[in-house]
Amino acid sequence: MKRQKYLLNKVAWSFFTILFVLVLNFLLFRVLPGDPARAGVRDPRMKQEAIEAIRIRFGLDKQVINCFESLNPIKVGSCTVNPFDTQFFIYVRNLLQGDMGISFHSNRPVAEILVERLGNTVLLIGAGQILAIMLGVAFGIIAAWKARTAIDYAALLSSLLAWSLPTFWLGIILLFWGSGHGLPIGGKATPGTSSLPFLQQWGDIARHMLLPTITYTIVYMGEYMLIMRSSLLDVLAEDYILTAKAKGLSTFQILKDHALKNAMLPLVTVIAINLGFTVAGALQIEAVFSWPGLGGAIYEAVVRRDFPVLQGAFLLIAVSVIIANLIADLTYSYLDPRVQSE
Amino acid sequence: MFAKKTVALFIALVMILSLVLSACGGGAKAQPVTLRIGWAGSPDTLNPGTAVLAEAWTIFELVYDSMYDLQLDGSYTLDLAESVKTSEDGLVWTYKIHDGIKFSDGQPLTADDVAFSYNFYAANTDFPYMNPYTAYFDKVEATSNNEVVITLTEAIPNIDYQLVFLYVLPKHIWEGVNPIEFENVEMIGSGPFKMVEYKQNEFVHLAANKDYFRIPPIIDEVIFQTFENQDALVQAIKTGQVDLITEMPNTAVATLRNEPNIAVVTGAPFAPEVTDIIFNQCTPGNCPLDAGGVCSGHPALQDRNVRLALAHATDKQKIIDLVLLGLGTPGLTLIPDGLGMWYNSSLKDYEFNIPLANQILDEVGYKDANGDGIRDMPDGSHPLTFRLNWPSDSINAPRTAELLSETWGQIGVSLQMQAVDPDALTAQCCPAFDFDIMIWGWGSDPDPNLLLGVMTTDQIPTGSSETGYSNPAYDTLYNQQATELDKDQRIAIVWQMQQIVHDDVVYIIPFYPQATQAYRTDRFTGWITDKPKVALEDVTSLVVVKPVK
Repeated sequence: MKRQKYLLNKVAWSFFTILFVLVLNFLLFRVLPGDPARAGVRDPRMKQEAIEAIRIRFGLDKQVINCFESLNPIKVGSCTVNPFDTQFFIYVRNLLQGDMGISFHSNRPVAEILVERLGNTVLLIGAGQILAIMLGVAFGIIAAWKARTAIDYAALLSSLLAWSLPTFWLGIILLFWGSGHGLPIGGKATPGTSSLPFLQQWGDIARHMLLPTITYTIVYMGEYMLIMRSSLLDVLAEDYILTAKAKGLSTFQILKDHALKNAMLPLVTVIAINLGFTVAGALQIEAVFSWPGLGGAIYEAVVRRDFPVLQGAFLLIAVSVIIANLIADLTYSYLDPRVQSE
Repeated sequence: MFAKKTVALFIALVMILSLVLSACGGGAKAQPVTLRIGWAGSPDTLNPGTAVLAEAWTIFELVYDSMYDLQLDGSYTLDLAESVKTSEDGLVWTYKIHDGIKFSDGQPLTADDVAFSYNFYAANTDFPYMNPYTAYFDKVEATSNNEVVITLTEAIPNIDYQLVFLYVLPKHIWEGVNPIEFENVEMIGSGPFKMVEYKQNEFVHLAANKDYFRIPPIIDEVIFQTFENQDALVQAIKTGQVDLITEMPNTAVATLRNEPNIAVVTGAPFAPEVTDIIFNQCTPGNCPLDAGGVCSGHPALQDRNVRLALAHATDKQKIIDLVLLGLGTPGLTLIPDGLGMWYNSSLKDYEFNIPLANQILDEVGYKDANGDGIRDMPDGSHPLTFRLNWPSDSINAPRTAELLSETWGQIGVSLQMQAVDPDALTAQCCPAFDFDIMIWGWGSDPDPNLLLGVMTTDQIPTGSSETGYSNPAYDTLYNQQATELDKDQRIAIVWQMQQIVHDDVVYIIPFYPQATQAYRTDRFTGWITDKPKVALEDVTSLVVVKPVK
């Protein structure tokens, strides 16, 4: 019963946070200066009618919300206008129907663009995260168990180094090295391979993924290793571990039954938060390796003032971070019964 | 515990390795002759009506045909049409289309498709680039299977320029689609290449159209691959993953020149560019208040003497050497040298001469009234401190601004420099005229009409005029050249207009940037490199290059 109340509480809070983000998202982009209808097309031949037509097509001719005609510059408008005819309610209504609008830049539906790029990002970052977690946890355990020996110091040093390396620098170094050894310079797949059989196609994609995944793994492995190590060291210093040793349990049994479960808690939180931000893509890696992911899409949208894409992407990131945190909360409460008694 | 984890890790690595190795074996020597081109951009859309990016137009040139062809020396030749007749009054143009032209889906291209396409572009007023080309069209109709008759509202000298980018679309595909939302992924066209596969921001894969009505390309396929950063481009051509790159950072030019098997070519870009220093000269009388004009420009800039002194204090060659690493030509007026015969090469530029600049300002009364090293207005009201702005996405502007500040400081002018977000800068610029000096630039059309129009009085309230310059004599000449049918006469008028704006120092043009491209000499040969413009990705080169044997 207590457990269910806890779950319900967490889910409700997440829901309201998402609603808040929705509203904030909408307002944020209306507050920016500049006219999106003229953005990027600085061409004197573009007639007034064309600019007006673009404005109408993207619904920019309507009032932002009751009482405000526009937010930058702030212009007061009619308070009695039909609320369903304002940009805000049209935005909410479309969102509920899954329509995130149309890109100013390519006139394609935003949802289509984001889903495409999201898939690519999840593929790359997912692989990188899994490897980083596996390697980070493994090295963290080894370092903690062999604390204050040469192995520990070596692991500590290399993790700090890995975590502090600038991602783009490491990426460029690996790119230059790898391209001299026959690995592709960029992109997700070699053009022309989409008609090949499944295994060959994915083999080609794997070749393209090799360098960016290695870059990502090296940088994030450092973070997980350090957290795992310090968390495990804390737990290993507890009295019950000493008792377990006195009882004659083997290293393996101590770690498995007593130490790891407690040491994993901080790591679970960090992993969940990182996975939430996975959706934002690793922008630096995507830029260096020309990987067509969400990070790159966001960057291009910023440069081109492509507000619908930016709005959609930010909403996506916010929702995934909130959901990831929800999952972290729930996992935490499952692993640690003490958490529910609040 | 360790064993399990290590084993899992090992298995994962083996799996990845096996995928990698299987793909290595799968990269067998491709039978078709494929040319790989690397670039740093990507088309925004494949719909010719709504596209705005240069990369999209490169693809359109390869996949579609139009009535004329634009050569790299700036001249026009008939393409789809085999002959053209014009009426006495210059209003009715009759084009006879070649027989036997087919679209890539096998359907014939007839005058019907041409008329449909032109009317399609004319009907959609929110096509940003295509619609303005139809401004003079009164009526377009197909009078027979291969005859198209265009009736104009007035006689113009440059119908070739108006038609060269109006690509002929297949009526049976485009009739009834939503003009804005149609993505045109299949790109059915009649050009020398046809679409195989398109992934936005990744690659464009084209195949040669061996049934092209003129001589088909020698190569079988061409792939344009997008790289997100220019260093990857340079690395790609060095390692041979691409055969041609269409751009590179100026810093890489020297390295690439030293590579065996790589040749670097420089010249005017296909769409010539001009970088300009813009002076806000809008007089209070001309301030477009209805359109949101603020007109906060420094009064000194309305004095030609001040602009002249600033011109004499600008070291253009130094800017080219330091900012462009030598890859540019000194500028004169807004018409770039890449426009060939339209460019007034006889103009004498204002030489870099600091003492002369100081003398000019002294003589007209801009003295340093309070001894702070900065000159003041003759009536002592304002110091000569100007706001200098540029768009924050410009690579060259910050360094250019620094160099200007150095030399202009030597004549008693001080600058408040600030990079501004491009959107915000547009809001400040025109028609608000809420700035003093800006560094920006234009990409030019093949016809000078566009850039000449920027300096007319009519464009002050529309936002196209950046300087607020107003000269009735210039306006009259502008209207004249727009309808002057004699080519040599028109060139003379355009040259005269450039003389006027040069005399009035409306802009300072520091340079016209050059294009730099590089190709591998051990892969393909036959590149067209002896024309004034360098555009190896253009259809002119792509239809003639062949593999090195």
